[in-house]
Amino acid sequence: MNYYRPIIVFLIFGIAAPVLNAMGLLSDTTLNLWGRYFCFAIAALGIDLIWGYTGILSLCQAFFFCLGGYAIGMHMLLKTGTQGVYGSALPDFMVWNRVEQLPIFWEPFHTFTFAFMLALMIPAIIALIFGFLAFRSRLQGVYFAIITQALALGVWLIFLRNETMLGGTNGLTDFKTLLGFELADSASKRGLYIVAFVTLFASYFLCRFMVKSKLGRVLIAVRDSEHRLRFIGYRVASYKVFVFVMASMLGALGGLLYVPQTGIITPGRMDVQASIEMVIWVAVGGRGTLIGPIIGAVLVNLLYSFLTGAFPGTWLYFLGFLFIGVVLFFPDGLIGLRSKMDINSLKRFFPVRTSAPVAAESQD
Amino acid sequence: MKIKRHNFLRSVCALALILGASPIQAQIDHQLQLGRIVSNNRDSITTAVRVISDEKDVVYYALMVALFNGELYLKNNELVIIGDMQEDDYGDTLAPLYTAYPKRHPILNDEGKPLIASLIDLEEIDSNRRIRALIQPYLTQMEIFHPDPGKRRVAVETLGNRGGLGAVPMLRDALEKETDSSIQSLIRVALGKLELTHPDPEVRLNAARSLGELNNTFVLSFLRARIEPDANGNIAESDPAVQSEIRDAIQWLETFNQIMVAIQTAFVGLSLGSILILVALGLAVIYGQIGIINMAHGEFMMVGAYFTFIVQNICMIVLPAAYIDLFFPLSLPIAFLTAGSMGLLVESLIIRRLYNRPLESLLATWGISLILVQLARTIFGDLTAVKLPQILSGGFELAPQVLLPYNRIFIICLTAVILIGLVAFFFKTRFGVQLRAVTQNRGMSACMGIPTRRVDAIAFFIGTGIAGIAGWAMTLIGNVVPNMGQTYIVDAFLVVVVGGVGKILGTIVAGLGIGVSNKVIEPFAEAVYAKVLILGLIILFLQLRPTGIFPAKGRDE
Repeated sequence: MNYYRPIIVFLIFGIAAPVLNAMGLLSDTTLNLWGRYFCFAIAALGIDLIWGYTGILSLCQAFFFCLGGYAIGMHMLLKTGTQGVYGSALPDFMVWNRVEQLPIFWEPFHTFTFAFMLALMIPAIIALIFGFLAFRSRLQGVYFAIITQALALGVWLIFLRNETMLGGTNGLTDFKTLLGFELADSASKRGLYIVAFVTLFASYFLCRFMVKSKLGRVLIAVRDSEHRLRFIGYRVASYKVFVFVMASMLGALGGLLYVPQTGIITPGRMDVQASIEMVIWVAVGGRGTLIGPIIGAVLVNLLYSFLTGAFPGTWLYFLGFLFIGVVLFFPDGLIGLRSKMDINSLKRFFPVRTSAPVAAESQD
Repeated sequence: MKIKRHNFLRSVCALALILGASPIQAQIDHQLQLGRIVSNNRDSITTAVRVISDEKDVVYYALMVALFNGELYLKNNELVIIGDMQEDDYGDTLAPLYTAYPKRHPILNDEGKPLIASLIDLEEIDSNRRIRALIQPYLTQMEIFHPDPGKRRVAVETLGNRGGLGAVPMLRDALEKETDSSIQSLIRVALGKLELTHPDPEVRLNAARSLGELNNTFVLSFLRARIEPDANGNIAESDPAVQSEIRDAIQWLETFNQIMVAIQTAFVGLSLGSILILVALGLAVIYGQIGIINMAHGEFMMVGAYFTFIVQNICMIVLPAAYIDLFFPLSLPIAFLTAGSMGLLVESLIIRRLYNRPLESLLATWGISLILVQLARTIFGDLTAVKLPQILSGGFELAPQVLLPYNRIFIICLTAVILIGLVAFFFKTRFGVQLRAVTQNRGMSACMGIPTRRVDAIAFFIGTGIAGIAGWAMTLIGNVVPNMGQTYIVDAFLVVVVGGVGKILGTIVAGLGIGVSNKVIEPFAEAVYAKVLILGLIILFLQLRPTGIFPAKGRDE
């Protein structure tokens, strides 16, 4: 690996972009948008660990993403205090629902430390229990994908309800401050962007460390020949549970950083489709590599922002063809495409021409 | 009919009577009431309306309707009803006249033609919101003789709830004329309820007995109120014999109610289960054959539903009105073939390249589903519906309040037929044998000369075709919307997972199991939690049997 490359990336996104923003050359909106992409990329890294490296398709990453998001959202809502629309110490949606007292499970979210820890621990514990049950009974392949999808559906339905005190369809919104910083300030936005980027950067290296270690080798072995690995004497289920928990925590970390930047979290982020879309980010970028999912997440979301703005109504067609196209033609994603392309294939795509016709074209 | 002169005299007499009105109201004095109305004084009218409503005399029906609609007028102090108004060339409003009492008949002039009068010559009987509000219940109750059974039903129920003993003769009359057996039973219930307040204990005893025999559980709370002490500690029913009869009736009705609830739960569960089976069958055929979960399965259902919709619209143009319902059977083969051939197309273009890569094909089929949903949205918009064929509307009435809708019964039967057909196909045809052979051992089958690729393609065709049929059936119970495929699809996936690979029997057991347990849990927890609970149970179940109820025999791959 080229050692200068991460440094360049860090210089551009970690330092140059915020500095440009502070100087007023880069709009807050753009910076904020990219900050969100980085959060998606963190969650995508989680999918890459479990799908790209371990070969297990999990279709509930968006659920973990939202668990992190809801946890921090609950904290921020409580910190809003009496500044809400109704001037009540309770979050606004509870006032609508005529709730008089804060539900007990909201209590721990008063302090940031607890909220932060719960944001990561709740997904981890759910993944631990769910993964333990699923992998112990050797659910694999399509079965596991279906079961995780059903989980995502079930939880989504629960979050949609009003009486679960999680904001119902409208979700949580109208956040004011985080750790004392006004979220509306552009300096806070910049700060959140930097945090998101640095976290992504760190997560990347953490994952890199993991996949390069012996553990990573075992994970790849699970993907490529699970039976053989089991016969050798590895406890495959434990590795799978571990990677599932890791993925869930990365997802939650992404969500945790995402919500302060968007200012809203709704169950719409965790429906069945949201999770599958996260998988396609990884597929587009290139699974089984660590830079692939990051590129994929950013690229697909950039396209989403562009297409929904420029050609409304075409996004789902595009996404559909993206699913089919990537799977059929670029199973290794963009990264795989690049590594396949040597000079010869480049020549095939862009045949070398004599200068004459080029000149002729330019004359037209 | 010519307006008779003496009516006017009668009205005048009545008017005179009002002045010295005697408050005896037990026996209704028709002339007195008519006179009150003719007086065109709001207070008198209100009194008259109140008396008429209490007495529930059907003779006043036309008059009350007219008063309610503001069509009651006075012509030379004679009550008349005006018909459809027209304007003549001079801007005067003209209307044909009708008699108001005792029946609504057209009034004829000397030449035997309808008498037309100008509104200027008439005096409108004043009515206001308060009077109309008083009339409303009377009108509803009078509808026990209405030609529309729905209206009769409502009328009988309101009479039973609000009427007094005075309504009993009228109800008996209605009972004799009634031809609809379910309304007859309702009338008996209403009679029973009214007669429970009769002063004679013998009549009350009979009423209690008949209420117990009528199997109408809606009277339970009414019966309880008769024998339980009210706020002041008084018990409405004093006679001990009647009390015990009422207790017997309550006891039986409670048992009856439980039986009915059980039957209904079983039916609803069976209905949901058969829908799940119908949706999951095609999925299971494909999964068993090529190991691919077709995420676009719900969208092939949608294709079937939309083609049903298209066939319906074509039939509306082509067929005469009486035969429009033919669209439904006509669209069955079309739904099957279109969904199936679209499936075949998808198989040959996309799925074929992804055999042995089940996870990737899962993603690719998801992409297909996105495209199909968006396509449907672009072409058809967001909400369309297929008309329920006449023959399938309504339901089988098991008891007065337990209705088993025909469309649900139809779907249960359809599922059974398709299951039988599929089993016959699998086990009785040469192709079915090939299919099962490929499912069991692909390599070996290929060696034996079975064209595995073609078998795969045909399996996909059948699987998506059944999805089309499922969509066709689904138009009976819901709207046709672009994302209709999503409603049952995750549950259907679970059915396949729980049922085991490529086993029809597994799909049946799992589908019924999930469907029925969903409906059994629902009364205790809301539908959403029932669903989540089922998911939990499925995960626990897979601990015991990781490869479903009926695992594939032979070695794991």
